[in-house]
Parts: sequence; structure tokens; C-alpha cells
Amino acid sequence: MNIAASKTGEWALKGYFAALVVFLYVPLVVLVVFSFDNSTIQTLPYSGFTTKWFHAAFSNTDLTSAVQRSAWIGALCACGATLLGLISALGLTAKRMRLRGLVTALVLLPLVVPYVVLAVGMLILLNSLGLHQALWAVLLGHVAIAVPYSLLIIMPRLQTLDENILDAARDLGAGPVHAFRRVTLPLIVPALFSSALIAFTISFDEFAIASFLVPAGQETFPLFVYSGARTPGLEPEVIAIGALVVVASLVVVTAAELLRVRAERRLTRS
Amino acid sequence: MDSIDRRRFLTGAAALGGGVLLGGPAALAKSVPARSLVVDEPRPPLAKEPGTLAILEWPGYEAHGTKAQTYGMLAGKDYTDKFGAKGLKYTYIVNDTQAINKARSGVQFDLIHPCIENLPDYVNSKLIQPWDTSLLPSFKNLNKTLVKKGQIGGKQYMIPWDWGYASVLYRTDKVSPADAKGWELFWNAKYKGKIAIWDGAQSNFEVAGLYLGFPNMDTQTPSQIRQSKDALIKQKPLNKFYWKSEYSDMQPAFKAGDIWITYSWQDAYVNMKNAGLKVAFMEPRQGKLGWMCGFVLGANTKSYYHAHKYVESFINHAAAVQMVNLFYYGNADATIKPSEVKDKALAKKLNIGNPLALQAKDIHLQSWMPQESQVALAWQEVQAA
Amino acid sequence: MAVASDASIRSQGLLRGALRPGRSWLAAPASIYLLAVLIVPLALIGLYSVNVMTNLVGVPTGFSVVNWQDFLPPGSNPFWDRFVSSIVVTLIVSVAAVVAAYPIAYCLAFVARRRRYTLLLLVLAPFFTSYLLRVVAWKVILANDGVLNSALWQLGLRQHGNGISWLIYSWFSVGLVLFYSWVPFVALPIYVVLENMDQRLLEAALDLGAGRLHVFRRVTLPLSLPGVIAGFVFVLIPTTGEFISPLLVGGPSSYMFGNSIQSFFSDTPDWNYGAVLAVWLIAIVLVLMILFGRFLSADLRAAPAE
Repeated sequence: MNIAASKTGEWALKGYFAALVVFLYVPLVVLVVFSFDNSTIQTLPYSGFTTKWFHAAFSNTDLTSAVQRSAWIGALCACGATLLGLISALGLTAKRMRLRGLVTALVLLPLVVPYVVLAVGMLILLNSLGLHQALWAVLLGHVAIAVPYSLLIIMPRLQTLDENILDAARDLGAGPVHAFRRVTLPLIVPALFSSALIAFTISFDEFAIASFLVPAGQETFPLFVYSGARTPGLEPEVIAIGALVVVASLVVVTAAELLRVRAERRLTRS
Repeated sequence: MDSIDRRRFLTGAAALGGGVLLGGPAALAKSVPARSLVVDEPRPPLAKEPGTLAILEWPGYEAHGTKAQTYGMLAGKDYTDKFGAKGLKYTYIVNDTQAINKARSGVQFDLIHPCIENLPDYVNSKLIQPWDTSLLPSFKNLNKTLVKKGQIGGKQYMIPWDWGYASVLYRTDKVSPADAKGWELFWNAKYKGKIAIWDGAQSNFEVAGLYLGFPNMDTQTPSQIRQSKDALIKQKPLNKFYWKSEYSDMQPAFKAGDIWITYSWQDAYVNMKNAGLKVAFMEPRQGKLGWMCGFVLGANTKSYYHAHKYVESFINHAAAVQMVNLFYYGNADATIKPSEVKDKALAKKLNIGNPLALQAKDIHLQSWMPQESQVALAWQEVQAA
Repeated sequence: MAVASDASIRSQGLLRGALRPGRSWLAAPASIYLLAVLIVPLALIGLYSVNVMTNLVGVPTGFSVVNWQDFLPPGSNPFWDRFVSSIVVTLIVSVAAVVAAYPIAYCLAFVARRRRYTLLLLVLAPFFTSYLLRVVAWKVILANDGVLNSALWQLGLRQHGNGISWLIYSWFSVGLVLFYSWVPFVALPIYVVLENMDQRLLEAALDLGAGRLHVFRRVTLPLSLPGVIAGFVFVLIPTTGEFISPLLVGGPSSYMFGNSIQSFFSDTPDWNYGAVLAVWLIAIVLVLMILFGRFLSADLRAAPAE
């Protein structure tokens, strides 16, 4: 007997679960289905199967260079945020620390600051310094919003590390850096990988900061999607590349998650 | 000694972090001088210029040969034939107020296509520099009255190109003639949900000023701005939406019958008529709005000579004639002959070809608003209301 | 390296004493970074809001609370009304998301058994795809001649060309898209709490003859409240500053407070008034954090560890 639900209740819950999953995936399926639709307007009846929008999207250099730009910024953001997240996690897991509460609050603050406020703040900062919009400013903003996620992914992993292993390593004569590199680092690689993935995703999808800080003619992918979604002639191309991005991210998220679980299981077992 | 080691580790980490954070994007970023020092620097010749042009432009005016130009405009062909379309990067103007504020916020443009009412603001904010008209062979063809309007302090800051009217575009089969006498049609509750005015801060306050009968729509007093604002708040629920782009939201909605009454320029009238709709471009009893726009040159442009070539490819005679026949806008080219315009009746109705058209009695030329920031704030309040 | 090794050989006690406080300094780079990229900009917005700084050329600066006096008295200006209606929508969306996500979490924790991890991933995966693209997908569905309307026409349920007008450019579409985006994420903290709940308590209650519904109401639900509140705040905080989905699927009457901030800085010359709205939003978020922070901090840590 299930302690939490009767037989009927269980079926009702399962039915509801299935319905919600359908609700969650319907828009994604619609995006994919209409990326192959022959018409420029996404409407029923389906006007025929075509792959022309994918060809059009890939030959649109504005679109492909926007994707490239976002991929570069995302990759740099993944490195920067993971590095900052890692070293601050190492710092915050120190046994003794003054101002721990304050520092934790500071590093987690970007989680609750509305991006639009951060964006206008950075715009004012650039303006006060006499600087202009630039992609490096977008990157700085993206790293700032990704750091807390990196910290929250890496820190629990560090906390579960067996202090005894590190102590043993030190007892065997390893210096702190050596111990870190040979013992700690391999154990937290899955967490670093997750952190990089999340930071990349955050940056690749970020609109608010980019919309204020991107220089003229150097749109990132979300900016292209936004303006493309409002231009009838471009919308099919946006939907085509959007369908690709959505499917790719579903695959990557699932694969990465499964790999991470397997790796962590192996690590905890060994 | 531990501390030395620790410090070394920290330095390494900091250097690595710094390298990733600053070194990486340095490849992406372009070092742009922060302040403009235009005059005394030697300018590199055409061949040494980067040749990319970041252009703040109205949708539909992209150069011929770019992917975005799907309306059939010829202008810009000479440029893209010679230099290719790849270096042309367009950012779009939603409305005049937004355009100038985008430039003011620090986004660097090589070329902007504003209208005359904001020219003093661009100059005052040091966003633009004068043109060298000797580099523009077709400049001599341009209407002297309009050329004059593009000058400030004797310098040619704007190369005039397009001019025209703004009025009420409405469906004659849906709107009763008795209701279509003036700008008050936007306030007619009978047509609730079938109206869409533009998301244009300044224009809407001018329209409200005409509706309320103010003697000067562009120099409203604070209390008049308040009255205009209240009128626009009253008008707001009658709209289906405020349109942001002529081609991507206003014209499709009008064609589909979602809206019957809209703020519009004459090109939409031409397009809707060609689409077979029964439409009229109103002659409001308070008068139409008139506008003229042109090209201004970014203060910090690194593609000075390319920008001149680009503008020449727009103002040359062939491009100007084709533009008139496409949109039935006026063009600053004074050498366009009536025989070159296809629809003679329409040209006559719109007074195209008359160099003094914008000076006509029933035309209110949109001009500089000293109270620009109060109007922008008031428009924000209307939108938030 | 050699230096450190020597040191550790010489005295482990000394090493520990010297190293541990040193290690905490590793938190410094991120702190300095966020001071520069986050705190300084926020401070500048604060200075703008009281007119100590301005972007306007040739306009005198000096401490003044004029803009605050204009904004603050409730009901005195449209931005205040916009703020109130945004908060109402945000609250409705947050409550709806929690209510919809609770059975999902409950199902995962108590019904799904062995496949719970796979099913959790199934629910969460859409959350990790592009937010903007999901909004675009809804635009395709809800548009006037979009998938939903045209399906109704095809089925003969509505006259061709006559779409349901409130499907898009309305509070409905904005609320629906926000709800859709956050439901999967809200399920997570609730699931974590339910999962960690001591099942023996439930068994004991059942053994004492209480019905399942009674047990749920008196034991499970109260015990899961921290997760519920965390989930609620997970939606509430980011949606207070939302401006993208109103731009794509909202209309002039369904713009949110975030849109007002965004358009002040992109459409007007006067950033000082926009700064007032931005500071106000931060203040609201801080209040929410003070009210709910303790639920959040515990669960934020639990969530990614999952």
C-alpha cells in the first residue's frame, strides 16, 4: 500500500503528470514542426514539408555570425564564471572566515537582482566612464550573473569531499596546491563541467544585458531572435534555427546530466 | 613561506582569471576612442578604412543588395555593387525619440537616418559631424530649401533625402465619411479596438496638440503637455495596439482587417490601395503632418569616405526617382521631372515635385521640440497608464 | 611546491594554522569582481535616482528627491499603477505555478519510485532550453492566425479569420508564458523537501487511523511548506523584473513594470526617472528576500546538489 496516495489518487497523479509534461513539450514540438513548414506564416493547415528555412538560416550571415558571437561569449563566460565560482567556493569552504555571511550574500546577490536593473546599471557605469557599448561589457555582465550558479553547483560538491582524503594527502607530503590538483580537482570535475554548462546556457540565452550593451551591428543570438520574431520575413529562419537550438540543448542537458550522475556515482563508490 | 606559496597561487589564479576575462574578449572588442576628436586627425583614405557601416535606419530603407531589402528599393545599389553588402549592419528605428536616445546612450553608429526635428539634438549631443558635400556629386541636385534646413551653424549636418506626410489612413468601407473629418477619428469610441496609432512619442503629442487645437504643436507649454497626455491616455483603450514597425505590424494588421484606422505615412496608403482595400489618406481639417528626413554622419565614424559613397548611392537621380515611384514619398532630388513619376494623379494629390510642398498652409512640418524630455516622460506615462 | 612540502613536513599544525585563514581569501576575486560589476552599477542607479548624477548634457546635478516625490505616493502616477498591476500578475503566476507544480513534486516523491530521476529530468529539461525561444514558440501558437486559432478554424469551431482576441497581446498571454516558463523549476524545491521528509511520520499517522487526505493536510503539507515557499519565491523574484515576454506576446495594456524601466533607458533622454523605478524594484526584491530569504538560502543549496 502506498502511504501517500490511494490507487485512484495514484492514477490521478500519474494522469496529471503526463498532462503537464505534454503541456511543457507542446510548444517545443510546435517549434520543431513549423520549422519544416513551407509557409512564411505559421498557421494550420500545414502547407507542406520543406527544409528551405534551414538553408536560408545557414546562408544568412547575420544570423550565423550572431550565433557564433553568442557561442564565443558563452564559452568565455563558462570559463570565467566556473573559475570564479571554483575559487570562491574554495574560499567559502574554509573553516574559519571573517565576513562569511557578507561575502556569501554578495556572491549570491546576482540571483535576485532583476537583469534589467543590472543592465541599466552597467549602461550607466559605461556611460560614466566615457566608454561605449562593447561585447566585453556584455561578457562581464554574463559572468556576474553566472557566478552564483557556478558557486551553488561547485560548493556542495566540495563540502561532501571527505576531509580525511585531503588530510591523508597532506600527511603524505602533498602541499595545498598539489593536494588540490591531484585530489580535489579530479573529484569535482563533474561539478565544474555542470557549472560550465549552466554558465554557457545562461549567457547564450541572455537578452536584457545584451540589449543594452551590444554595440551596433554586433547582435548576439537572442537579440537576433527577438528582432527576427517581429519581422515576418525573418520569422521562419528564426524558428528553424530556434528548433535546432532547442533540440540540441535538450540533448546536451540530458546527456550531460546522465554522464554527471554516472561519474559522481563512480567517484562516490571509489 | 606558506604565504609565499599562497600568494604565488593567488597571483597565478588572478592572472589566469584576468587572462580569461580580459584577454579573451579583447579579440572580440574593438577599442573605440571614448571621446570624439574629429577635426584635426588625419583621416585614412577610402582603401584603408574598415568599410563597415553601422546604420541606424527605418525598416524598408535598407540598401539594395542587402538581404533585408525585400521591398524593391533601388537606392544603395551603386554602393553594394562596389563594396558588397556584408559590411552594412542595420539597427532599426522604432521612433525618432528612441533613435536619438539609442545614440545618446553610447551606441556608435556611422550613419543615422533621423528626421529634421531631432537634428539640433544630435548636434548638441555631439553625436554627428558635418558632411563634406564636395564628395557627393549628386548633392547639387538637391532641393535648396531642404538643404538649408539640414544646416546648423552654416555646416551641412544632414543630407536631406525623403519627405512626406503623416495622416490618418482609414478604411472607407468601414468608417463613415462623417466621422473621417479630422484627427479626432482616433478618439472616436465607435471604432474601439480597430484603431492603432504609432508608438511615436513626439508625433503622438503633435497629433494630440492638433486635436486639442493648440496653436503650436511643437512648443507646448507644460500645461498643454499635460492636456495632450490626458487626451492620449483617454485614447489608449481604443487602440488594438501601438504599432512599432510599419512593415511588420501595422501594414499586416491593416491588410488583415484587424485595424481600420491608423496613423500612417503615404507609402502605407499606396500599399493598401494596391492590395485592393478601400482606403483613404485623410485630409484632416486641422491639417496633415509633414516630415523630412535625411542622413547624418556619426561623429566617431572610421568609415568616413565609405559613408559618403553610401549616401551618394541613395541621393543619385535614378535611385531618387525609383524611390518616389515605390513609396510615393517626396524626394529631396529637385531634378525629378513629372514625366518620370508613374502615377501622375497620385503625385499631384501628394504635391510631389513641388519644392515648397512642405511650406503649404495645411501642412504642419514636424520640427524641433524644446520640451523633448518632458514629452518623452509623458509618453512613458501614457504607455504605463 | 617544494617550499610548501618542506613546510608541511616540518609542522603540520603550523601548516593548518597558516593555511586555513589564507584559504578564505580565495573568495576575494569573486567579491571584488561583483563589487565592480554589480554593486557599483547599483550604487550609480541610486545616485541617478536622487539626481546626484545625470546623463543629460548641460543639466545641473544636485541632490533632489523630486522624482521620488512624483513616483512614491500611491496612485499619483501611472508607473505606480503599472507596478501594482505587475505585482498582482506576478503573484497570480507564482501561486498558480506552485499549485500546478506541487502534484508533480508529490508524484515524483511518492509515486514515481525507481524512475523518479528520469522523470524529474523530463520535467526540468525544457527549463534549460532557451527562454526566448520558448516565448517565440508560444507566439507561434497564440498569434491571431497562429496554431491555436487556425486549428479552431479548421475544426469549424470558429469562423475563419476570426481569432480569439485575448489569446495574444493580453495579460492572459503574458501570464501563461510566465507560468509555463517557471512551473518546472518550482517543482524542484518542493520535490527536494518531500523527498527528504521522514516517511515514518506518514506511516505512523496512517497507522493511527488518519485518512490519507487528513495526513496530507495535517502532516505532509505543513512539513513541505519551506519548499513551497522557496518555489513561490523562485518565481516571484525573477518575474518582478520581467520585460521580454510582455514585449513579444504582450500588448500596450499588458506591459509590466520591467518594461517601464527598460523603455525609460532605451526610449527617453531622462534616465533619472527610470533610475527611481529601478531602485524601487531592487527595494521590493530586498524586502522579499528579508521575508523569505531563510527558506531560499537553504533550498538554493539543496537544489543544484540534487
